[in-house]
Amino acid sequence: MSIRKNLLLALLSTLLLLGLATSAATYFAARREANELFDYQLRQMALSLRDQTLQSQNTFYPGFDYDFIVQVWNPGGSLVYLSNQNILLPQSKFGFNTVAVNGEDWRIFTMNNDGKIVQVALPLSLRSDRAAAIALRILIPIVASIPLFALLIWLLVGWGLEPLGSIARAIAKRAPSSLQPLPEQGLPDEVQPMVAQLNSFLARLAEAIETQRRFTADAAHELRTPLAALQLQLQVLERAQTLEDRSDALAQLKAGVRRAHRMVEQLLTLARLEPEAAQTEVTPVRLDRLAAESVAEIEPLAAAKPVEMRLGRMEPVIIPGREKALRALLDNLVENAIRYTPSGGRVIVDACADAEGPLLAVTDNGPGIPAEERERVFDRFYRLPGSAAPGSGLGLAIVKNIADSHGAKVDLAEGVGGVGLTVRVRFPTGQSVPGNSSPGEQA
Amino acid sequence: MRVLLVEDDPMIGESIRKGLRHEGYVIDWVQDGRAAEIAIENEPYALVLLDLGLPRKDGFAVLASIRGRKVRVPVLILTARDAISDRVKGLDSGADDYLVKPFDLDELAARMRAVQRRHAGRAEPVVVHGALALNPVTHEVRHRGQLVPVSAREFALLQALLECPGAVLSRTQLEERLYGWGEEVASNSVEVHVHNLRKKLGEGVIRTVRGIGYSITSERA
Repeated sequence: MSIRKNLLLALLSTLLLLGLATSAATYFAARREANELFDYQLRQMALSLRDQTLQSQNTFYPGFDYDFIVQVWNPGGSLVYLSNQNILLPQSKFGFNTVAVNGEDWRIFTMNNDGKIVQVALPLSLRSDRAAAIALRILIPIVASIPLFALLIWLLVGWGLEPLGSIARAIAKRAPSSLQPLPEQGLPDEVQPMVAQLNSFLARLAEAIETQRRFTADAAHELRTPLAALQLQLQVLERAQTLEDRSDALAQLKAGVRRAHRMVEQLLTLARLEPEAAQTEVTPVRLDRLAAESVAEIEPLAAAKPVEMRLGRMEPVIIPGREKALRALLDNLVENAIRYTPSGGRVIVDACADAEGPLLAVTDNGPGIPAEERERVFDRFYRLPGSAAPGSGLGLAIVKNIADSHGAKVDLAEGVGGVGLTVRVRFPTGQSVPGNSSPGEQA
Repeated sequence: MRVLLVEDDPMIGESIRKGLRHEGYVIDWVQDGRAAEIAIENEPYALVLLDLGLPRKDGFAVLASIRGRKVRVPVLILTARDAISDRVKGLDSGADDYLVKPFDLDELAARMRAVQRRHAGRAEPVVVHGALALNPVTHEVRHRGQLVPVSAREFALLQALLECPGAVLSRTQLEERLYGWGEEVASNSVEVHVHNLRKKLGEGVIRTVRGIGYSITSERA
């Protein structure tokens, strides 16, 4: 489909049709005008004979077209003049008449001239031939102008569509990786909104690419620390002389590998969140079952410290969500709680609904997070200054990302009795989750 | 030699401390910028290993503050930031060297020695003074060409006295250079070490200046 072709086709065929219609109308109008002129001529001729004394048989008026037939009858009814001996026409009624005589049509004008009856006639075929010739000559400029108009239309359509072509060329000239906005000045009104939208799309794309690039750069940078630790721990192991030193160094190395492994896992989780969210279906998820599963799986880690793990308020709350992602959210919260709670501490997980909606909460009695740090802890790779436990700094960033994609809000507060930390994830009530088609139900 | 390690990552810090102890260094370890400033202000360190990404006060800020107060201690930056702009900034802010993580422990030790060498104004790696020759790499002491076995503390004491040959260091000053925060120092430790060194190298190697301290003497080779 081509705008240019459609336009040209429509305009040229309209032009052609109009041209034909105009030509036809002009032709008939011209012919009628010609005929009227001939009639006028017949009558004038008849009138001019009024004053003449007619002699028979000869052509008497110089310049008189011999195609005409002139007949005159005296008041008595006898033919006193006949211009052409070979053609005799019957007397017709007064005025204009068209009469067929011997298979030929004649246009006859008959009038009363002082008692005499004057009749002037011309064969219709001659008249119509002449009328047609006149009409056709009139058509010549019209018909000649059609191809000219066609050419003009062609050129004007081309000129009108030129801005589109020039934009296409401008875009083609740009570097393949360039995401710079297209110039919006001097664009025709019809094209300007499209280019503006394109530019806003380019801006969003550039931002998405920049976010990705920053993530990769940040990740590569952050991985240096656990890797540097591994390198050093290995060299310390190499230098260890005594058995005790060696087993010490080995234990350190193992811890280092675990830490590096965890950071890579967290990075992968974070990197996968967006593409997975786009591809995973939203289904109804039972929050209390999810919490129970998460706690059960992490139990060995808690028992090793030991940190007491408990299920607090559990209600059969169902929300629309992506189960795998919500599980990752819970796992991160619970793991964080265990990691930062000293041995002998306690972690409680709630999955319930209150007046404001469905709620997931993880409470611990560890050191907590001071109020002034509560904004920053969600930043990627941010770790609380002075935090003793090794971590990637990504846990809360992951939690926030998953919460956002479910339309949920995360807030931090003190734990029980003003000690420790409570993380609350509050889900929207009965609204659709972005990307969801079926609404959720609440228990 | 007493070294201040400023590093917030516990695993890296622990490994550096262990690794450098093998090299005979005494390591004090702090994990944030403010603590680093305070430590540098109060203790005489032979060298500072400075991480840049620190809580409470950034490594660059610490460096700027100590150089602003004209503290001359050699500083070796250890960091994950490898951008050229960071390296230039680090060196121009007064650091003596810049190492990017991950790094090799051997390379760290070698660069530390190089920085100390330059700081002492020496070109050769081996510290030679009169009849004495100290090799910081091998921790060997030669007296008149003969290899003399010495303990780590004894080596450190000789090194401290040879930093500025002829200068007198008090007992306290020597203790500060030989022992870290966590270490118990018996009140006569320094005397014992000096005594042992005199036994191994001869009475004239270390001079007692009564009421002030000790200094190294210039023996003929």
